[in-house]
Amino acid sequence: MLKRHSHEVVLAGLTALAIVVLSLQSEQFLTLANLLNQGRLMTEVALVALVMTFVIASGGIDLSVGSIMGLSAILLGTFWQKMGIPLPLAMVLTLGVGTLCGLFNGFIIVRFGMPPLIATLGTLALYRGLAEGISQARSVRGWPEWFQQLGQGAWAGLPVQVWILLAALLISGAILGYTRWGRTVYAIGASETAARFAGLSVGRTKMTIYAVSGLASSLAGMIFVARVSTTRSDMGTGLELDVITAVVLGGTSIFGGKGTIVGTALGLILVQVLENGLLLAGVKGDGTIVLIGMVLIGTLLVSAFTENRARA
Amino acid sequence: MTIQPSGVPPAGTSALASGTALSVRGISKSFGPVQALREVRLDLRPGRVHALMGENGAGKSTLVKVLAGMHLPTSGQILAGGKEVRFDSPRDATAAGVAVVHQELLLFGDLTVAENIFSGHYIRTRIGTVNWAAMRTRARALLAELDCHDIDVERKVSSLSVALRQRVEIARALNQNAKVLILDEPTAALAESDADRLLEVILRLRGRGVAILYVSHRMNEIFRVSDEMTVLRDGEYVDTVESARTDEAELVSLMVGRSIEQVFPKVEATIGAPVLEAEGISSGPLVQGASLTVRAGEIVGLAGLVGSGRTELALTIFGITPATSGRIRIDGKEVKINSPRAARDAGVAYVPEDRGHQGLVKPMTIRENISMAVLDRLSPGGFLKSGSEVRIARVRFCPSWCARRRVSSKWWDSSREATSRKWSSPSGWRQTPSF
Amino acid sequence: MTEISYDFPQEAPRTNRLRRILRDYGHELLVALAILVLLLVVGAINPRFVSARNMTSVFSGNAYIAVAAIGMTMVIVTRQIDLSVGALIGVLATISGTIAVSGAPIWVAWAAPVVCGALINAVTGVLVAYAGIPSIVVSLGMMAILQGGLISVTGGAWISDLPPEFLLAKMTVLGFPMPLVWALVLTIAAAAWMKLAPFGRSLYLVGGNAEAARAVGIPVRRRIVQVFMIHGAFAGLATLLFATQLQVIQSTTPPNLELLIITASVIGGVSILGGTGTVIGSSLAAVLFAAIGSALIFVNVSAYWLRAFIGVLILLTVLADVIRRHREVAKGA
Repeated sequence: MLKRHSHEVVLAGLTALAIVVLSLQSEQFLTLANLLNQGRLMTEVALVALVMTFVIASGGIDLSVGSIMGLSAILLGTFWQKMGIPLPLAMVLTLGVGTLCGLFNGFIIVRFGMPPLIATLGTLALYRGLAEGISQARSVRGWPEWFQQLGQGAWAGLPVQVWILLAALLISGAILGYTRWGRTVYAIGASETAARFAGLSVGRTKMTIYAVSGLASSLAGMIFVARVSTTRSDMGTGLELDVITAVVLGGTSIFGGKGTIVGTALGLILVQVLENGLLLAGVKGDGTIVLIGMVLIGTLLVSAFTENRARA
Repeated sequence: MTIQPSGVPPAGTSALASGTALSVRGISKSFGPVQALREVRLDLRPGRVHALMGENGAGKSTLVKVLAGMHLPTSGQILAGGKEVRFDSPRDATAAGVAVVHQELLLFGDLTVAENIFSGHYIRTRIGTVNWAAMRTRARALLAELDCHDIDVERKVSSLSVALRQRVEIARALNQNAKVLILDEPTAALAESDADRLLEVILRLRGRGVAILYVSHRMNEIFRVSDEMTVLRDGEYVDTVESARTDEAELVSLMVGRSIEQVFPKVEATIGAPVLEAEGISSGPLVQGASLTVRAGEIVGLAGLVGSGRTELALTIFGITPATSGRIRIDGKEVKINSPRAARDAGVAYVPEDRGHQGLVKPMTIRENISMAVLDRLSPGGFLKSGSEVRIARVRFCPSWCARRRVSSKWWDSSREATSRKWSSPSGWRQTPSF
Repeated sequence: MTEISYDFPQEAPRTNRLRRILRDYGHELLVALAILVLLLVVGAINPRFVSARNMTSVFSGNAYIAVAAIGMTMVIVTRQIDLSVGALIGVLATISGTIAVSGAPIWVAWAAPVVCGALINAVTGVLVAYAGIPSIVVSLGMMAILQGGLISVTGGAWISDLPPEFLLAKMTVLGFPMPLVWALVLTIAAAAWMKLAPFGRSLYLVGGNAEAARAVGIPVRRRIVQVFMIHGAFAGLATLLFATQLQVIQSTTPPNLELLIITASVIGGVSILGGTGTVIGSSLAAVLFAAIGSALIFVNVSAYWLRAFIGVLILLTVLADVIRRHREVAKGA
């Protein structure tokens, strides 16, 4: 147990250490209100990161998530305000388009065998370009109260989006860890050929993963709009890098075949704790980015060395 | 130093070093707890072809890698031309005149034939730049020496057939003035006519005084081409014999340590009703209207040259390359096999040729590998029942402590594992013939 | 083993020069053709597009991308990637600007980013080659460190009052703007080096098949560190062209600059699978999308669509590469 999940254990220890140290530095840090607010802020990255764990564990990568997020934000505003579609329907449509964007990623990767890194680099530019072109730098405001609740309200003491996040966490954790489909994802990441020879449906699984990644990005985009009450075409710029950082920090191998939802959750929490705690402790936000970069490289160095030792 | 008379002296005696191009003395190599080679010895003489024989896992590839400078031996010594040498890197081996043609050809697919031949040893102009024109000319000459006149040296290697790629590797070895040429299973992927041409090339190189170490399984080739042979078993040196004074039966018994009757004892089996019937199935250019019947309790061998479509037929029956026409019946019922999944559900299992690549998911545990083909049965409603997964692995194949290990653990024989995975398939023992 | 005997008959080259160029530089010619078509079509619609003034401003404003893409191309050829180059350019710009206003000799301000770029990237290279961490992850971490480090050190302040003799991008050589001259000279020099120098060729060997490269005696790990350092030096050169365009140096770079540079390499024909591509292609690609960006304005299409065009361009380029590879493999079988 300890041996197989050593990365998660190290990460949990590191997170606990950070929480203890930071709560000594600032009294505001370890308060319920602050922690709930942090949960609210991390939801968008976290939703995408949970699905990205599947993407990376299957040996792929999706750089287009930030662009799908931006495109979804713009489309939601366009559907609702410009085209006069009722907001609930506009939301469904937006999620549909987000899923289609992801499906297109999966399609060009599976059907044409494009390397995921480059395929999604292309769609990163494409989807962002569509967002910019459609919005023409105009933003949409004046969202109804019930919609803003999605990003700003609370339900039973917890921010609304934290409920969504918790549900997503449980579902993705169960799927990756305990189902046939999750096992298939690992097998594809570890050896696509062997997975195919074992009779697993490789193509369909990969398409599904990328489609869900698009769906999650789209949902994150909507929550973002609800939280800040406006739309901008540059929403989610750089999201892909935050997400990949959290996932890789969580122990998912960039080569695929390895990674857990618990690890990703810990990675997300560690990043958020550092960002918020250091800010409250008076460190400027940019110093925190440096620390996150160092933690990322440091943890990978440690696991590279321990793995080498285990192999020798 | 004393000059020894020609003939085949007992290997490993130190006084013989003078006549050898490359000698290996008591080489051992271990990977962690795994002892891959133990006290192996070998003498390669100029102008002689020395065959290296042994079963899978006997240590042939490890020995080749030690001689190529890719593995450092744990103990023992290597002598080149009588002097002790140490191969810390492939560069050292090359400098000592040892060239290796690996089984997985080490070529650069996106570069031209000429550049591949000179990779790492470019011909330079007077100012030190790469002399492309001279390289093209010399590449043509080198290939012509290898009976290979019709090859465009400016073609990308990825567009060549396996036989031609191999010729490119040999040309690279020759360019480095190799005194010792090591060929690791060079004919494994060649069609018969290509293999013949290769053997002629080898004999020609022998005539020029190159010492050749030839690793192969194919008996007829070994006897055709080799002057002497060394047999390894389980990483240990067994014997060195002169090719002219031995025969296949003796060689097999040296390789496996038992006589041939003991290795493949005849077991009586009752032949029942047809289980697999393929009728006129076609897929791609190689499988055209193939038919075969396999009955219960029967082992059907599928013979043919490389390129005759044996593997392709198996892949078609297993649904990797689904049949475009024809019928497949299992237990008399017609089934449609358009994916490995469908084949598996119909009760067909396949042990692939390239087990390390197609058969096993190496970073996963043995348990996970075994259950992979039966995940559906183990996960009613989508959720895995890990209890049954453990039980399958433990009851049928190995104790639980080993099922938790990763397959990549060196000591676990890949083939055993891939086979056991197939046995856990729903209908048990049915297998397409494996080659 | 340097002595080579030439005692075999000299034969006439089998392939003539034109066919060889077509085959070796087919992709580059295609990109050049695309530029030409774009210039002709948009020039016909709106002649002001091809005016010397517009061309100069478009190309010299984007020359730094071409220069940075040279180094990136080398990195990708060895089958690595660097996501930190955008942040690196930001850091190097500030280093250079700080030295320039400090009163040190101008050549120090010019040399510093090149040297620092190489040194900073040496860290990335070592972590990739010797610690075995994938370059995409290392460079992601480096990006965070450089980006955050820059802003926390400068506090987001701009550097102004740059001495006029520091502003390299505004200088001209024989009437040609300096950035254009640099991009051209560096591209040709780097292309020649990668075609003719054994060291340059070894990058293709490392990227094409690392194991085979090791077997023919290339020190693969050292080569990876070296290529990252060279890439850092080119980032330094690009910085000189980027940071000296204006009177001030900001402590931020255009967002997603690293992706723009990688895109130039990819559209220029470098295969992300390693082992192919030239810097001529990447520089032409940088020219191509600078031209597209400007052309959109001249044909009255909103420049907001630019990225969508680039995205489609990337996908088409990679699709062509994938199809070409499939065909080659099919031919070999």
